[in-house]
Order: sequence, then structure tokens, then C-alpha cells
Amino acid sequence: MNVNEYLSKGKNEVKEIIKEAREINKKYNYFNYIDEDATGGKGKLSNLPVSVKDCICVKDMESRAGSLILKGYKPVFDATVISRLRKEGVAIIGKTSQDEFGFGSFSTNTDNIPKNPIDVERSTGGSSGGSGGFTAITKYTHVSIAESTGGSIACPAGFCGVAGFTPTYGVVSRYGLIDYANSLDKIGVMAKKVNEIKPVFDIIRGYDEKDSTSLKLDLNKDEKIKKIGVIKETLNVDEKIKDAVLSKLKDYEEVSLPLVEKYGVTAYYIIALSEASTNLAKYSGLRYGESLDLKGNYNEYFSDVRSKFFSTESKRRIILGTFARMAGYRDAYYLKAMKVRNLIIQEYKKAFKKYDVLISPTMPIIAPKFSEISKLTPLENYMMDIMTVGPNLAGLPHLSVNAGFIGKMPVGLMVIGNHLDDNKVLKFGEKIE
Amino acid sequence: MKIGLEIHVELNSKSKIFCSCATQGSNVPNTRTCEICLGMPGSKPSFNREVLHKALKVALALGCKINKESFFSRKNYFYPDMTKNFQITQYELPLAENGKFEGINIRRIHMEEDPGALIHFGSITLIDYNRSGMPLIEIVTEPDFKTPKEARTFLNKLITLLEYLNVYVREEETTLKADANISLEGGERVEIKNVTGLREIERCLEYEAKRQEIELATFKETRGWDAEKGVTYSLRKKESENDYGYLTECDLPMLELSDTLLNEIKKEIPELPNQKIKNFIDKYKLNKDDAEVIASDLKLAELFEQISHKIDAKIAANYLRRDLLGQLEYNKLQVKDLKIGEHGVKDIGVMLNLYQKNKINNNILKTLTIRLIKEGKIGEIKEQVSDDSQLKKWCKEAIENNKSVVEDYKKGNENSLNFLVGYVMKLSNKSANPQKVREILKEMI
Repeated sequence: MNVNEYLSKGKNEVKEIIKEAREINKKYNYFNYIDEDATGGKGKLSNLPVSVKDCICVKDMESRAGSLILKGYKPVFDATVISRLRKEGVAIIGKTSQDEFGFGSFSTNTDNIPKNPIDVERSTGGSSGGSGGFTAITKYTHVSIAESTGGSIACPAGFCGVAGFTPTYGVVSRYGLIDYANSLDKIGVMAKKVNEIKPVFDIIRGYDEKDSTSLKLDLNKDEKIKKIGVIKETLNVDEKIKDAVLSKLKDYEEVSLPLVEKYGVTAYYIIALSEASTNLAKYSGLRYGESLDLKGNYNEYFSDVRSKFFSTESKRRIILGTFARMAGYRDAYYLKAMKVRNLIIQEYKKAFKKYDVLISPTMPIIAPKFSEISKLTPLENYMMDIMTVGPNLAGLPHLSVNAGFIGKMPVGLMVIGNHLDDNKVLKFGEKIE
Repeated sequence: MKIGLEIHVELNSKSKIFCSCATQGSNVPNTRTCEICLGMPGSKPSFNREVLHKALKVALALGCKINKESFFSRKNYFYPDMTKNFQITQYELPLAENGKFEGINIRRIHMEEDPGALIHFGSITLIDYNRSGMPLIEIVTEPDFKTPKEARTFLNKLITLLEYLNVYVREEETTLKADANISLEGGERVEIKNVTGLREIERCLEYEAKRQEIELATFKETRGWDAEKGVTYSLRKKESENDYGYLTECDLPMLELSDTLLNEIKKEIPELPNQKIKNFIDKYKLNKDDAEVIASDLKLAELFEQISHKIDAKIAANYLRRDLLGQLEYNKLQVKDLKIGEHGVKDIGVMLNLYQKNKINNNILKTLTIRLIKEGKIGEIKEQVSDDSQLKKWCKEAIENNKSVVEDYKKGNENSLNFLVGYVMKLSNKSANPQKVREILKEMI
């Protein structure tokens, strides 16, 4: 049942969906934690079952961002999105599995790897893999609160065949989000259908004094679509993916965004990893999460804890990010990447002068098999984000909607809008869905 | 000899720099903390505008150029007192630069958070996070001091200024910390980290100057200060600056300062110590020494100004310096402990008027001053006894009871008269007018 219908009928299927989640989880690993006692309440979202990506803090509920180093960490506070949702009566049913701290495109960089709901040999995509998979598979009404840094909502939405919306940076408070990269992280919504997103998005968005980067501005009201641009460089993919995406569009023009194509991934990873490497410094086994017997001096102890409980991917990203921040390299890497980021924003802004929305495939491939993923080099892995890093770097609202299938596997179409055109993006997504 | 200071000042804002925890209150460890100053995953800093306000006051009072745009950065290093293993501070663009105070050039002023405090119990170390997130400004001077004494004098004047600005409370000396750097002609620069208190800063610089006189520093070095032993010790030789991998703090937006805000703050800056001293000399006709002592404490200066409405300024100054400060010191109290209200000020006026007219003696003045310190007011004042018949009675008794002393006096021993005056004072319960007693005694003998 669609969220809108569920709410207007005053349904309550919280118990049922928890039972289902427990069963499904045995095979698919969508949850790091399920709250057996979750209940809803009264409000604009009465008794709506909501799953939450593990990296978003829920009071007294283990929130470990898919990481072993945070095992057992139960936040003493609710993230702002959670307290806003609770006020409107949702039931928080559990924490969904993800790549550790959001570090990945396939949700394989973690101890609890979610499997694609259509083919368990394949990935759900990442990093919000548990959210994407469960949203697709559940028989019940449900939305998931997910998070994107470089494409972590769009990617699993595309691979699992659901709708995944990432708002304009700053429209939804990040307070209570366990940081990956502060200047890039955005909390968003996943649902089976695009029109289920808005009722939840309208509750979680809006200025929050606890997040100094949250915007006081209102969303743009104009939702009219006059001109559609398809990003030329992103059509350089498998014909079937290209066809699926273009088949959804009637009138469109091709638009070239060469900077995004050429420098997007590089700039994204330098910025994201530089920020991530400082964000992860706090995990040192001192006050929360995993710890070890106290041995040696503090440097040795911190090193022991971090060596033992961070995954290989986290260590790789910490080392890369730290390197890019060092005195001799800062100008060459981080500061240059910030300049490139500005140029990329300008490139988008120019395109939005002409087009209302920009379209691309969500991912360059369909959901890959785990056996294929294990053969990828780290660099090949990072290149998977080529379509999604652009709007994420620029902080633009973007939505992945299902555009069809190749065999059984879904293909995602990505709608990108100008800053604060979030509603226009959702409206357009509804239309093509 | 060249000496420079990096001075850490804890501002007296109501709440911490990035959260709403109180800066004052319970000293039970880890009670004034929240998810933000504990750096819990998911928490984010929010910048306290009161800290900005106070920091700007200091920057303007020190004649700095204010950067209309500045931002916070993360200074990254691992240490157990750090909640996030990075400190939020200002690096590339500080709040203010290029100021001057007391002839010393100020290089920069920036804002930052204090880490928690490590407390050592033998082999065990515990952490108190009450201090975590306390608001600090760091004032960095150019190496313009020529002696350790100069550095201390400067710090004293700086503290007075900060108190005038109401941005800092001089509680214990421990709230002022500095890193000091010192180099001798032809030698390299040595930095002494984390020295607490004015006296210690001067001491460590004196030690280091002597040490370098004996053996000129041939390489850059960072040293620590052992206050107990009174020596510095090597922490590390540094070939280059420590690499803290500074990164913009993306959770906090760029600080943009409007002219309106700066003008508002300029208006809040009160008359500063040097201006006060000048006024005291020019308008109140105090001598330089009195003016400086009274202006060195805002509360004292304000008290002086209030009393001077009621009594001659010189008498007021003399009273404050000699009697009030003397009694405070004797009772191990400070000016800030005084709680003198409007009534108290009025009382002081009345008292000094009586004193001036010789209606109360020094003893009474002292008793009343003690009462003033204890109660904040004086209340009823009993004038000294100048009535001849009463004084004569006491004098007669004194002479009769001390015949041998009277004989001594007659033989020319002047001290004997002092003894007799003292005897009368005792008889009168210190209320007699001592000049008159002396005269009457002379007459009667």
C-alpha cells in the first residue's frame, strides 16, 4: 500500500513489518539492528514504519554506521530527522546495513553485507544498501531514511529498482548523522514510489539551529518543467542502459558537462577522504564503541584499536585523506579540489539557466555480482560513482527512479535539479515513473 | 634577547564555545558536558556568538585589523584529552591581525576550544571533560619583549585590560596560559610550551635566558617547564613546524562580520586603563603612582570615581591605597571580593568626611574599614571623644596609675608620653582623640 493511502486510511502495520523484517534479514542482511518493540504514534505520519540507515543516530539504539569500531554505541540523543519523525508518529523499526561509514558503492565494505532483493548473487549497491534492499522487498508500507555523500542513495535505489531522493545540501539537518564528509553528507529518503517521498521529506526538511550548515531558505515553488537536458557524457554506457533511460523521455536536448566528467570523481574523492580522515580520528577506543585492554602508551593503544576494528577500506581512506591534507600537499590536492568543485558548480549553474532538470543514468552498470566486485581494483571501484558524484559535489537535489529492466535487473534514471528545486525534481520523477 | 608570547585567554562567556554547556558551576568532573563537547559521533558544533562578541572586543581594544571573513579549521593530532582528536581553531584566516598594545606588536588573535583536562593519580590518569569546549582566544605577539620582566609587565596590563572589557575573570593564575619563545642574539629560537601563570612565565623565561647565555641555542627546539624544579627540559627538536594537517571545519560556516556589528561592539568598549590613568592625573590631580595603582583594577577605579563625587579625590585615593587595600591584603582578600553597594559608597563618603574633620581617628577608621570589607557597608559611625571634661578624667586616671612613667617624662623621656597616650586610648576603648589627649596630658603634667 502506498504511503499516502496508508496514512489516509490510518493503518498500523508496524508489528507485521517487524516480523517480516526479522524473517527477511536472515537471508538478505538488510538490518544491523531491528527494534522488536518499535511502536508508532499519532501525527502527520501516524504509525508509518521507517527504517533508518545505521549512520543516523537513534537514541538508545545501537548506531554504528556499519562499523565494528562503533559496536555497542548507543547514542544519548536522537538525530534531528529522527526527533522530527517521531513527533509525527512514525515507528523506527531498525538500523539498515551499509558500507562502513558510507565508504563504498556496493555495501560490501562491512561485516553485514546486504544482498540484492532480485538476485542474491548481486549487490544492492551502496552505501545505503540495506535501505535500498528492504525498501524494494517489503510487502508493507515503509520508507527508509538514507544518506548520501557521493551517491549512496541514488546507487542502491537504482540497483534495487526503488526511488531514492537526495535533497539539496543543507535542506535536511545533518545533526545526529555520523559524519563521512561534512561538506558533502546529505540525509534523504528512499521509498518504493516517488510520490511516497514527499510526505516524509516535508517533515524532515527545514532549518535546524543545531546544524550550522542547514539552510534558512525555502524551497523554490516553481515546479514547471519546460526543458530537459540529458548529460551527454553519461550516455557513454551500455546501450541497454542508455535506451532504458532515454525511453522515459520525450523531448530533450543533450547537454555537455565536460568538467564533471573529467574531474568529478577525483575532486570528490580528495575532498571526501580529506574530511573523512579527520572525522574518523575520534574512533580511538576511549569512550565508546569497541575497546581493548589498556596496554602501552596512548599512541600504541589508539593504533591497536584502530588497526583491529577499522576495515581495510576505512584504513585506505584514512591514509589517502591524511596524505592529501599534509603541509606539502594541501595546495596540490585538497585546495585544488575545492577550486575544481567550485568550477563544477558553475558548470551546473550554467546548464540550469537553460534546463529545468538534467538527466543521466544513475549508474554506469546494473547491480554487479559479488564475484565481479571482488575483482575490481580500488580505482575501478571509485569510478563506479562517475554519474553520482557530480550532483553530490555540487550539493544539488537528485532522484533515482526506475527506468526499466535489463533482464530482471533494474536500471535507474537520475533526475538532477538546481539548488532548492527539490520539489521540481520530485514532481518530474513522479511524472516519468 | 627577543621574547614572544602566545597567550591563551579563557573568555568568560556564559556557555562553551560550540555548545550550550555552562562555563561555570559544578566542578564535579564531567558534569558540565554534552554530546557536543564530548565529541560524540553525530554531534555537530554550533558557534556561540557571545564568544565572538567578546573576542572582537579584545581585538578592537588591542587595535587589531579585523578580518571581515574568517573561518574555523581542524587542527589534527591524537591526544587523550581531545574528544575528537582534532581541535577546532582558526588557522589560515584568524579573527584579527596586526594590533599593538603597550608598544608590543600583536601578530594575530584567533578563537578556539580548550581540550579536556588530564588528571593524574600516580599511574592512573583520568579525564575531566568539563574544560572541553571552554572558549579560548589566543593572542600571539611578535618577539618584541627584550626581558622576561617586560613580558610579565605586559601580561599584567593585558589582564587589567581584559577585565575592563569584561571578557575575563582573574580567578586563579591558572586560567592564563602561554607558550613563550625566546632567542638570544645569534642563537636559534626556543619555545617553552604551556606555562601557567604570570610568575611562572617570567621565571621560565629568566631560567631559559640564563641557560642560553651559558650555551647558545644552535637549533630550534621546543621545551617544557618544570615549575617544581624551576628548570626547562627538552621536548623535541624541531626541524620544521608540526604538521597538523589543518582542514577547514565544514560544520561551521564562514564567519562574516558586518560593519554594523563591529560598530556596535566598538561602542561597548569602555574607557580603558591607560585613558583612566590619564584622567586620574589630569582631572583628579592624582600623582602617577596613585593613578596607576587605582586604575589597575576596574572595580577599584570605579569605586574611586564614585567616592570622588563625595570627597576630595586625593583623600579618596589615599584611603583606597593605604587603608582599604592594606586591610584587604591583611585579610588575604582581593578587590573582587568586595561587595560595596550604593549604601557602602555613601558610607565611605561620610566616614572620610568625618576623618578629614578629625572627628574619627585612625583606629576608628580601621575598625570601620574592616566592617566595610565584611558587610559591604559601614552603618552607624561613632565619632571620637573630643570633649575636654571626659578626656581630662581619663588623663587624670592615667597619670595616677603610672607615676613612675610620669617621672620619666619629667626627666625628659619623650617616649613616656606616648605610653601615656596609649594608656588613655585603651581606657577610652580607642575612642579618644589622640592629639587632644597628648595636649591635655602635657598640660596636666
